[in-house]
Amino acid sequence: MDRNLGILVAALLLVASTCESAIFNPVSESHRSAASELLSSADGSFGSLEETYEALKTFEVLGIEKKPDIRTSACVSAVKILSSTSSALKDLFHALRVNGVLKCELNDQAFPGIGSKLKDSLNGASSLLDFYYSIGGLILIKDQTSEVDVHISDADRIFRSIKALSQSDGRWRLNSNNPESSNDAAGIALEALSGVISLASSEIDSSLIATLKNDISKLFDGVEKYDDGTCYFDEKLVDAHGHKGPLSASASIVRGITALAAVSSENLNLPGEKVLGLAKFFLGIGIPGSAKDLYYQIDALSCLESIRGSVPLILSLPATVLSVTKKDQLKVKVSTVLGSAAPPLSVKLMQIFVSGSKDASVIDQKLKFDPENSVHVLETLPTNVDVGNYIFSFEIIFDEPEHKNKYATGGRTRVPIHVTGVIKIDSAEIAILENDLGSVETQKKLDLPGESAVALSANHLQKLRLSFRLTTPSGQVFKPHQAFLKLKHDSGVEHIFVVANSGKKFEIILDFLGLVDKFFYLSGTYDLQLTVGDSVMENSFLQPLGHIELDLPEAPEKAARPPPQPVDMYSRYGPKAEISHIFRVPEKRPPRELSLAFFGLVILPFFGFLAGLFHLRANLKNFPKSIHATFAILFHLGIAAVLSLYALFWFKLDLFTTLKTLGLLGIFLMFVGHKTLSHLASTSAKLKTT
Amino acid sequence: MAAPKSVAVFFAVLNLISLLPFIAFSFSPDQPTDRKILVLLDDLSLKSSHSIFFNTLQSRGFDLDFKLADDPSIAVKRYGQYLYDGLVLFSPSADRFGGSLNIEGVLDFVDSGHDLILAGDSNASDLIRNIAAECGVEFDEDTSAMVIDHAGYAVSETEGDHTLIASDEFIQSDVILGSKKLEAPVLFKGIGHSLNPENSLVLKVLSASSSAYSANPTSKLSNPPSLTGTSISLVSVVQARNNARIMISGSLGLFSNRLFRSGVQKIGSLNKYEKSGNEQFVTELSKWIFHERGHLKAVHLKHNKIGETEEPSIYRINDDLEFSVEIFEWSGTSWVPYVANDVQVQFYMMSPYVLKTLSTNQKGLYHTSFKVPDVYGVFQFKIEYQRLGYTTLSLSKQ
Repeated sequence: MDRNLGILVAALLLVASTCESAIFNPVSESHRSAASELLSSADGSFGSLEETYEALKTFEVLGIEKKPDIRTSACVSAVKILSSTSSALKDLFHALRVNGVLKCELNDQAFPGIGSKLKDSLNGASSLLDFYYSIGGLILIKDQTSEVDVHISDADRIFRSIKALSQSDGRWRLNSNNPESSNDAAGIALEALSGVISLASSEIDSSLIATLKNDISKLFDGVEKYDDGTCYFDEKLVDAHGHKGPLSASASIVRGITALAAVSSENLNLPGEKVLGLAKFFLGIGIPGSAKDLYYQIDALSCLESIRGSVPLILSLPATVLSVTKKDQLKVKVSTVLGSAAPPLSVKLMQIFVSGSKDASVIDQKLKFDPENSVHVLETLPTNVDVGNYIFSFEIIFDEPEHKNKYATGGRTRVPIHVTGVIKIDSAEIAILENDLGSVETQKKLDLPGESAVALSANHLQKLRLSFRLTTPSGQVFKPHQAFLKLKHDSGVEHIFVVANSGKKFEIILDFLGLVDKFFYLSGTYDLQLTVGDSVMENSFLQPLGHIELDLPEAPEKAARPPPQPVDMYSRYGPKAEISHIFRVPEKRPPRELSLAFFGLVILPFFGFLAGLFHLRANLKNFPKSIHATFAILFHLGIAAVLSLYALFWFKLDLFTTLKTLGLLGIFLMFVGHKTLSHLASTSAKLKTT
Repeated sequence: MAAPKSVAVFFAVLNLISLLPFIAFSFSPDQPTDRKILVLLDDLSLKSSHSIFFNTLQSRGFDLDFKLADDPSIAVKRYGQYLYDGLVLFSPSADRFGGSLNIEGVLDFVDSGHDLILAGDSNASDLIRNIAAECGVEFDEDTSAMVIDHAGYAVSETEGDHTLIASDEFIQSDVILGSKKLEAPVLFKGIGHSLNPENSLVLKVLSASSSAYSANPTSKLSNPPSLTGTSISLVSVVQARNNARIMISGSLGLFSNRLFRSGVQKIGSLNKYEKSGNEQFVTELSKWIFHERGHLKAVHLKHNKIGETEEPSIYRINDDLEFSVEIFEWSGTSWVPYVANDVQVQFYMMSPYVLKTLSTNQKGLYHTSFKVPDVYGVFQFKIEYQRLGYTTLSLSKQ
């Protein structure tokens, strides 16, 4: 959980993890708008009375106007529960809380009944929550009406029975059967005990209070702490809905100790630093996203606002990025957690650390108070503060010494400050050098930052030198975080070099002879680009310098290939070129008449054949007669059928169908053919015999 | 019996080889709403600090199941069935997941067509880096590196290390980022990643400006940083071949309420925006990730000879045929006709013989007609529609 919470804080604050100091701002306008956003439901009502109370309380603390429709609907349900005799203890408690905020028109007759009911349940109570609800209810009745006597006579006994649930480490158990103890329960118990003290008709045994004080100090011993001073109470029992966690546990304890501090006659000796740490924890959450978390945060902060003995004061800076060029003033604001004004005090700038080193310069300078904006202003930055990252250490000193006992300031507050400024760039030049002698071949002055378009050319035996000088506004040499020279080839291959500083100057010498391998032996135009930037440099720039024409030797066979360049993703998608099929051109054919003429010529011999037959007086006298003629005709028809089958095969049928049909036709042909032929044979035999 | 060769034709077997074989996994058109998403967090407080993002998902009908990353009861699969349709990993520091989930489990989850949102952050664990690497995204190896941009940072009174970047280099795609133009830059604070140039499935959605680099902001640079300029991707998406969609962001804060609500002014620009573009960016991107946009389906594939309505079993060469198909896009609630003018059909045997752009009636029906080529063989009608951000349509019919 520690680790998790670490991420929580890191993620929520988005604070650079490098500095052990952080800024916490008090509750601001953004909380109010977030609250109205989160806690506005469509119909103006909330799920349960508990949620209604939480919303109302959040609105009240943040000073947001309540909508009348919330009031009506909440009052109706609260009055309903309070008037009913069978309401559960928990519901009664929440209804009384809602009533306390809204001051609903409630029949005063209801209170005595509720009061006696709560007292009865208090006598029979065994679990912590029963005690809490009963006592809490009685206190609420006390606040809301004066007619009911809510004092409890056996306060010592109740005190002891609640105390019996406590553990040696300062935590509490929810009831005697459950061995699990939690910080959340501790907060509930402390609140209940404070109720007992305020309701007690006689003074509580002072030894009981003393042990309770002991418990509280033990409870605070178990607080989890961060480097930046943030404290919270961890919660091991995380329920399924995630409502219970460090936030709810810390809020519960803060509620408890605030209530206790308010009623206890003696000082609780709360550790101021830890109370401040808790305040930082609640503020560090930022704006929670759920109504429940927002309630926990706001409620706890409102408790801390009024906690007796150690009201945390938050030192915040509206701006931590200061420009020396614009002569920004360092402003410090001190307020309570909810943003209300602090008592008269003064803020002293004690030390300035250079970020990343242990060196500190002691300043001990009092900041001037500007009553109009209620900020403390450091009019001029100390002379030894140049651009850079610093940690300023502030201390709050009260004008009236007795305030020291009322407020918790947590000693020195360390705040990271970024001092920025415009960096002067001069003597920028780019040159091509001869390799062996180092003599300058071409040299050009550069205007940084500005326009420049140099055109250089070099071969692999030469060198490129780029140099410039950076000075801070106070005349010191400035070393930026980012000083890159980029060479980009036409093909998209990029090479980046860090420009190093040598003494006062920034200089880079590119010896192309040693770089040919790295450049993949790619000759051609390289674009030059210089980027100089730093977080404290206001005029960080990225500037194309021009281009250089490189003449590099041919790549040997084993040289590495340049890496593939990413393809433009937009070109990867898109319609493809259309393809249409090119049809074969039909062969050239002679004109129709010619074909017909040839067809006539081809068919002519057939007519000649017929004419010849006629001329030779061919006859069909031998054609069988009577019954045999049928067979002969069938035979010829069969032959015709086979021929037409062939034609069909050509056009349409496949081999299998054709063969099948052909088989059938064949059998038929065999039969009729045999008949015909045997007849013909017998006739010719007869002729021979006769 | 010399069998004369019959006029050869296409044997139209009419079997659908692959008509949208992938949709069925991740994305069920029958039950598109009420989809379950598992959200793994480093800390339950992320639930409240990132509540706007989660609430927008819930308001779109997603059922979110929040769990701590080391919760021992995590299981995405039971009896071979996936319990969730999407996974949101907001646990950059998790060294390992609780329960039965591990890196293979996450990859199997994606391989079976489910969607994933992954958020890294500075000091992201090896587990998260490995998952990203398997998706084709390499986070900067230097664990303390962050993306720094001295010329493109967001102006802030309290943050001076220029790691809060205001980027407006978005992908030019209406389908991924919505048709409404993002006016305000997106605030980003986290780590950069690079994409493998040979991987064609991963797309840079938000990239850094050319002056950006990835380095540790507190230590001095002696070597050139491994990631510089526009090759740094801040947010990338992957659309896998099975249409599973993955979003990888180098910043968890990108999704946070804090940056959603924060105003933004980019250095050097006079435009000051009340609200950063994060909310719109993340919401629109999550719509795409969870298939509420850019998911296409093709139905009613039809082809016939001109003048007929029946689908013939064969075509002869030089027949004139008509082809039509209907394409719809999922709008989050219903299928709406998809209108584009660049859908193409291929008449395909080993290579396309005819490739023709379909004309549309603006109501999702695409049609064309062409002459069957005079080549004998078995042809397919093939639509291969790959557009930036849209699911790939690949269907064929013989």
